[in-house]
Amino acid sequence: MNAPIARPSSLQDLTLVEAARQVASGETTSLALTEAALAACEALNSRLNAVIWLDRTAALEAAEALDRQTASGKPLGPLHGVPLAHKDMYYQAGKRSTCGSAIRRDFRPKVTATVIERLHAAGSLTIGGLNMAEFAQNPTGHNKAFGDCHNPWAFDYCTGGSSSGSGAAVGGRLVTAALGSDTGGSIRLPASICGVTGIKPTQTRVSRFGVMPLSFSADNVGPLARTALDCATILNVIAGADPKDPTCATEPVPDYVRMLDGDVKGLRIGVPTNYFFDDIDAEVAAAFTAAMEVLQARGAEIIPLTIPHMDAIAAYGAVVSRCEAATIHAQWMRDCPGQYAVHLSGRLYGGYGIPAAYYLEALERRGPILMAIGAEVFSKCDVFATPTLRTKVPTLLATDIDAGTPGAIAAFNNLSINTRPINYMGLPSVSAPCGFDSKGLPIGLQIQGRPFAEGRVLKVADAYQRDTHWHSLKPPL
Amino acid sequence: MNPPLSDLVQANAKLWSGVEPPNAAAVEMADMLAQVIEGFERLRGELQFEDEPATFLAALQATKEIGQ
Repeated sequence: MNAPIARPSSLQDLTLVEAARQVASGETTSLALTEAALAACEALNSRLNAVIWLDRTAALEAAEALDRQTASGKPLGPLHGVPLAHKDMYYQAGKRSTCGSAIRRDFRPKVTATVIERLHAAGSLTIGGLNMAEFAQNPTGHNKAFGDCHNPWAFDYCTGGSSSGSGAAVGGRLVTAALGSDTGGSIRLPASICGVTGIKPTQTRVSRFGVMPLSFSADNVGPLARTALDCATILNVIAGADPKDPTCATEPVPDYVRMLDGDVKGLRIGVPTNYFFDDIDAEVAAAFTAAMEVLQARGAEIIPLTIPHMDAIAAYGAVVSRCEAATIHAQWMRDCPGQYAVHLSGRLYGGYGIPAAYYLEALERRGPILMAIGAEVFSKCDVFATPTLRTKVPTLLATDIDAGTPGAIAAFNNLSINTRPINYMGLPSVSAPCGFDSKGLPIGLQIQGRPFAEGRVLKVADAYQRDTHWHSLKPPL
Repeated sequence: MNPPLSDLVQANAKLWSGVEPPNAAAVEMADMLAQVIEGFERLRGELQFEDEPATFLAALQATKEIGQ
């Protein structure tokens, strides 16, 4: 498909890269962009509920300061003047960070997240905190403390989670990009479901200092934005070693943007023959097949293959984050369990019944399983691709455990069935829009590479976006 | 006859962590740990006695992309 990219009709239709270019060239100002973003938030949030808080005064002051810097002729950062908002779990010293919870409704951290410092140093400004699953622990968009987040393509439907507000805010064009976090699919699910692009980097690629933890072993920080190019631009800024986070890799950071050249000729794309397509929805399967055909037309080779140890990955992956989350939340689960949503306290509770031997087995086998994937998968392909979800996007009601909807627990768990295993493997994974279902909800394509192959998975997504228009479509808000 | 799984989870959660079941859904979801147990049962025999140390971080390095 070779549909033309839609031309921006307003500041809110600019992508992140376009917005930064316009500030740098003097076509617009940071103040104009920031006023437009604040106005969009104020106009649309009653329908989307994507924003928990806005700091209008600080945002406008920051924008004016950035415009003075532009006028001074000093070198500008790659995000200079661009207003962003982030999942409300990225700490800024002294500013509210609710983590989407009643328990931390008035929490004001003493530190600032390294990734926020890096984004600000690159010239962006933060206008507010975005809605999210309570403590980043549901894949749907439900939130008891701040209200459910609504899909910009159809308000009754899930946004995906846990970065629900990030998906809705970028999809609804309140901001050009937002940080999310991903422990079992929490960047890729809302990216897929809200029709935007999102990348979960390799485990350890991005600092987690000053970021609310959920699972020590599986948490990842990454962006949601309209395009793969936008995601690469943000990843260039946030990736890399951090003395404040000893778990962060010291691996050098390549220039991801320069790697996006559209050339996938000869690239081997693996398509799993096991697990990822079990009981798949026919419309999702058709969109995925069409996406592979687009990449084939660009010269990529499609290679059916088996992903080894999927039974083990599914079993072990389910245990690691659950035990770690139960550990982190133990004191609040003793002191104030009623402050959690039912679906969250219910999920945490099971973690106290899992034997430590299971948890340690899951961690012990993670390395050998990744070695097997390296040997048996990445010897045959450069990346492997799957649908991000196996199903169409469900409604909020169908997945509402707290409301007692019959079948909600199964529907809730089923959402992340294709994303969770990737966190256990630790691989970089991007989700990009690849179509719409018969109800008008987006469908996503998920692409994985070797550890630290963020550039390659973004390159594939970017190549796909050069020939398709799904990422440029605008919801009818 | 074994007691329901949720009874065992409740006993362990109370004994080891001092956590009570917060609601009925928690008890229902505790029973669903049976699926986790079944998953681990199917894997028995795969985890052998290992003499050599292995870490996930080392595996990330060993399998990483070279020269993107």
